[in-house]
Amino acid sequence: MHHHHRSAAIAKKLLLRSSFFSSAKQIAPAPPLCCRFRFISSEPPFSHHQTPNHFNHPSPNTNTYTDSSSTPPPPQPPRARPTPTPTPTYEEEQARVLAASLHHVIRLGWSEAAMIAGARDVSVSPSIVGSIPRKEAALVEYFMDHCFQKLVDTIDSDDDSQFKDLVPSERIANLIKLRLQMQAPYISKWPQALSIQAQPSNISTSFKQRAMLVDEFCHASNDEATGVDWYLKRSIVGGIYSSTEIYMLTDNSTDFDDTWAFLNERVRDAFDLKKTFQEVKYFAEAVGAGFSSSFQGFTKKGC
Amino acid sequence: MSVRMIARRLGSKLLPRFAPAATLHSHATSFGFKEVNEEEKSQLVGNVFTKVASNYDIMNDLMSGGLHRLWKDRLVSKLTPFPGMKHLDVAGGTGDVAFRILETINSGRAMDDTLEDNLQEETQIYVCDINPNMLNVGKKRAQERGLGNLGSLVWVEGDAEKLTFNDDSMDGYTIAFGIRNVTHIEKVLAEAYRVLKRGGRFLCLELSHVDTPIFKQLYDYYSFSVIPVVGELVAGDRDSYQYLVESVRRFPRQEVFASMIADAGFQQVEYENLVGGVVAIHSGLKI
Repeated sequence: MHHHHRSAAIAKKLLLRSSFFSSAKQIAPAPPLCCRFRFISSEPPFSHHQTPNHFNHPSPNTNTYTDSSSTPPPPQPPRARPTPTPTPTYEEEQARVLAASLHHVIRLGWSEAAMIAGARDVSVSPSIVGSIPRKEAALVEYFMDHCFQKLVDTIDSDDDSQFKDLVPSERIANLIKLRLQMQAPYISKWPQALSIQAQPSNISTSFKQRAMLVDEFCHASNDEATGVDWYLKRSIVGGIYSSTEIYMLTDNSTDFDDTWAFLNERVRDAFDLKKTFQEVKYFAEAVGAGFSSSFQGFTKKGC
Repeated sequence: MSVRMIARRLGSKLLPRFAPAATLHSHATSFGFKEVNEEEKSQLVGNVFTKVASNYDIMNDLMSGGLHRLWKDRLVSKLTPFPGMKHLDVAGGTGDVAFRILETINSGRAMDDTLEDNLQEETQIYVCDINPNMLNVGKKRAQERGLGNLGSLVWVEGDAEKLTFNDDSMDGYTIAFGIRNVTHIEKVLAEAYRVLKRGGRFLCLELSHVDTPIFKQLYDYYSFSVIPVVGELVAGDRDSYQYLVESVRRFPRQEVFASMIADAGFQQVEYENLVGGVVAIHSGLKI
């Protein structure tokens, strides 16, 4: 039960955070006269959400403005998973299209073409691709969320204590390996996905997704760091994850054996680094003290 | 940011309660600022477009300073056309939007080649207009652009309020600068919903309302003082252009129109203002 609860909570967090689902975004509109020489300035779209008429129209003039994550209208019983809603919402349809598109990514890359093929697979008009904001980025983000969800489910349903019995360093290495293996089928097109995630309009979402991922790694390895150590640990794990991900792009060994060896090396280094961190701190303090005293001497002498 | 969202929601909640029924009724009986019978409106609008058909494109260029081309480009890019698409352009008279869609499909590389060639033959763009004069001008322009003998472009004379197409047959529906002129907006929206497939998109490009203080005054001055005069000089027809600028003012505001689109059953209804509200592109998705 705890597992389901956590999955649902994380799923909800994903829904709220992932920009793919948050179509009620409001950005501060730019005043139209701010750029003298630009004739066309567009205000960001005003999103109006409306479930079909027969649900929530007691009178013809009432309009419900609902958030993508808000509760359904009162006359209906609470919307639980098992009861199918007669007409799906557009977010669900878009998610179905994206899920189907993943099958075509290997052949067509993270592109509109893959999404059009995916739409045809679920017998929805490919025009829906035009309604998905930041098209290719939405596909990549959907995949990242999908993998994250799978990771969480695996950790939560860890009945055979696959992870609990390991020491922290091995646990983190195994988790990272597990997550990267989900990307393995798409490795030929993964550089494209990385470049899409690095684009300015997409970088905030991809950063958030990676932050959540790293948080999950640390949390699953029972991290008890506090204060600065919390940030330190996460940035180190983030660094290990990113470098392994990039190493994997050029790895041609069978089953990515070289990548896992690389990963283990990095994790070992990091844990060794933790031990020597105190030493480095003292060393830095000593250097700093020495430097400041010599600087004082220099300024006293004058020029 | 959340305060603005709440304010928008409250403000918008008030608006539809006062507006829609009154707006719709007044739209059906308004011809610019004049009041007319519902039955007459269609006739009067028809007369306007019969007169302006031959000068339509030149006047568009003059009135908008060539910007209408960019607006239509934006409309088509929002649509993201694909090979094999069945598209309906309503009130598309002289063909601007249809040509752009066709050219985008022909030059785009949305898929791998063999599949694309087969699908490009299946692409069908229907241009529907109630006024045969506008259609004739469009057919001539198609010939000039070299799109005349393509099977993909089909010219249909028809009424937007009662389309002759089957249910669930179109991937896309656009109406550019046309919805202002219909008698019953909600019927047009209902018909649009009917002919679209699941996943199909509705896009509407229309002159709309400007709110920003000084710009609004300039725009009003330009609309009422300059445009009818240009119409007089270039087309010899002041009244048609007077009707045009008046009908823009009588058309519902962006938010009200968006709620009307949602009432027709569309989801993900959004609008984008161009040039501070002079033009707005409304879009909706049929699920």
